[in-house]
Amino acid sequence: MSIIIIGLSISMLLFLLAAGLTIIFGMLGVVNFAHGALYMLGAYMGYQMVQWTGSFWLALLVAPLLVALVGGLIERFTLRPLYDRDHAYQLLMTFGCVLVIEEAVRLIWGVNFMAMNAPDVLSGTVQMFGSTIAVYRLFIIGFGLALSLAMFIVIERTSVGMMVRATSSNSDMAACLGIDVVRLRTLVFMAGTFLAALGGTIAAPLLPLKLGMGYTIIIDCFIIIIIGGLGNIRGAIIASLLVGMTRAFGQQIAADWIGLLTYALLILTLVVRPEGLFNRKGREA
Amino acid sequence: MKRTMITALAAAVMALQAGVSWAQSRDSFTIGGVVPLSGPYALLGTSMQKGAEIAIEERQKVLGVPVRALWEDSETKPQTSVQKATKLLAEGVEMLFGDGASGQTLAIMPVAAQHKVPLIVTTSAADQITGAARNHYTFRTSSLAFAETRMAIEFVKKAGLKKVYGLGVDQPVGRDTWATMKAGLAELGVAAVGEDFAPIGNQDYSIIIDKIAKSGADGLFVTMTGADTITFLKQAGQVKLNSSVPIFGTGFLDDDAANAVGPAVVGVNTVARYHFSYDTPENKAFVEAYRKKYNEWPNAYAGHAYDGLKWFFDVVDKTGSWEADKWVAAFESSEHPGSVFGPRKMRACDHQAIGVGLWAQAVAGGDPYPPFMLKVTDTFPPDNLYPKCPN
Repeated sequence: MSIIIIGLSISMLLFLLAAGLTIIFGMLGVVNFAHGALYMLGAYMGYQMVQWTGSFWLALLVAPLLVALVGGLIERFTLRPLYDRDHAYQLLMTFGCVLVIEEAVRLIWGVNFMAMNAPDVLSGTVQMFGSTIAVYRLFIIGFGLALSLAMFIVIERTSVGMMVRATSSNSDMAACLGIDVVRLRTLVFMAGTFLAALGGTIAAPLLPLKLGMGYTIIIDCFIIIIIGGLGNIRGAIIASLLVGMTRAFGQQIAADWIGLLTYALLILTLVVRPEGLFNRKGREA
Repeated sequence: MKRTMITALAAAVMALQAGVSWAQSRDSFTIGGVVPLSGPYALLGTSMQKGAEIAIEERQKVLGVPVRALWEDSETKPQTSVQKATKLLAEGVEMLFGDGASGQTLAIMPVAAQHKVPLIVTTSAADQITGAARNHYTFRTSSLAFAETRMAIEFVKKAGLKKVYGLGVDQPVGRDTWATMKAGLAELGVAAVGEDFAPIGNQDYSIIIDKIAKSGADGLFVTMTGADTITFLKQAGQVKLNSSVPIFGTGFLDDDAANAVGPAVVGVNTVARYHFSYDTPENKAFVEAYRKKYNEWPNAYAGHAYDGLKWFFDVVDKTGSWEADKWVAAFESSEHPGSVFGPRKMRACDHQAIGVGLWAQAVAGGDPYPPFMLKVTDTFPPDNLYPKCPN
């Protein structure tokens, strides 16, 4: 039973990291390679906020907002001229952004490891089903569930969500109907970078802050969104659970096979349902 | 046109000759530093450079001429190491110093030997460097993986552990170290109650930590480095694993990592390759000089770089000769009474330096020290630590 709790925390962390990538991928059709770098920037910004204010909660709010502004600038000045071109151009451009962000972080914070700790209120442990579980892990589970629900409601049930979906299926038609497609794209990209930075700030107490920390998560993120279906929030949640639980049970039962199992899951999805497990035809959200 | 070209060519030839004669004139004793100043091991290289600079400043002159260093960035890549070492040798350096990662060092060893130039290794810990891959011109003044594992076994003995769990990075070094450790534990009659290997850059250790907590182990042996150590110790700290299963390992933790882990690191035990808190007069003098120049505490890479170069300079100076072969012959059987570790000596059979091993525990530092740091808690005599001399 405790494996399920731990697996759930792994899954929710994966979802938090992949959520931003999946909406940018799904809504804008942009393979945002800079997602990992923005995640790293979020973690460093969060660290800086904690250094200045001493408050983890303030960091959790302000750091993603600041990174979202950076995201807005990236969209406005680098991606906007490229939407009509082939995906390869966007991929290259976001990769360029990775290099710029990495260098900026190196200049500002240096190459040493930085540390950010969980706030005192989340630093305890609880005994559940014979295992010691960190309260911070439970916080991640709760936060991940709340965020996924919020994203689901916004995209599926609000007028903004409807406009976003309309733009993603046919941007020219959406523009004809009076939707400000240009602004909407900027907003979606900013929302995606907000989520990337949120993932970074949440993950910071679990990991060392260092240059290149973004590269280690980007593969996991791509696995999640490929299995779940591009831009599909529901799919991303299920895929996170699938991968998270595979890792949790895999580590328990056959530790050497985890990598193989995860990638087998990916290949199987690509062969059987290349559009993702949960993508219905004609539906993008 | 033709004439200008010929003039230019002649000028170039003259310039080249001037370069050659400069190298041969020996108005300085030049060391060639091949260290990773960028890439994953950038911290190693920059620290090695800082430690070496202290040795150079302290020494000033070798064989009556000023010592100077040419530095090349080997980018944490073996291929670059070879290119940069070759370049330095072409520039006429008297000796090579480096590299960072063991793979890099193993790559430049044959290059140095080919040029009959001594190579001083002060960081890389792979056993092969002074084992199967050893050569006549390579000397290691730092420790090796074998000795570190022996120290961990000595610790198990002293702490009276009965059931040990192994956690390593899923790389040859992680698996090999645990295999050596298991063999040592079996000799002591200590049970190995479980093992796990995680890939480099693993993000989540929660299941492994849960397995360890439930395994009934009374000690956890860890063999990993850098970011992986920090990730693991941070996550282990969140469930206070160290209070139920004491964590120890071979050189997997240093002051930088301890500070990146934070409060959870306190009480974790490790081999210390070097530590600024080690109490010898020579170490105190070095730490003071280092602090004065860089305003920071020296780490193991800086400490070993300083100590190894100081040793080599002493030996070269004593020979009074410019022949590299005489330096090698003298270094082979040399002793290093002025070492920061207390007296050490070189083993002629494999060119491995022999000395005490330091064991440390992570503690809260406090002014003027870093917030968290290692503190040397025990030393192990060299008798049992080193591999037998090869035949």
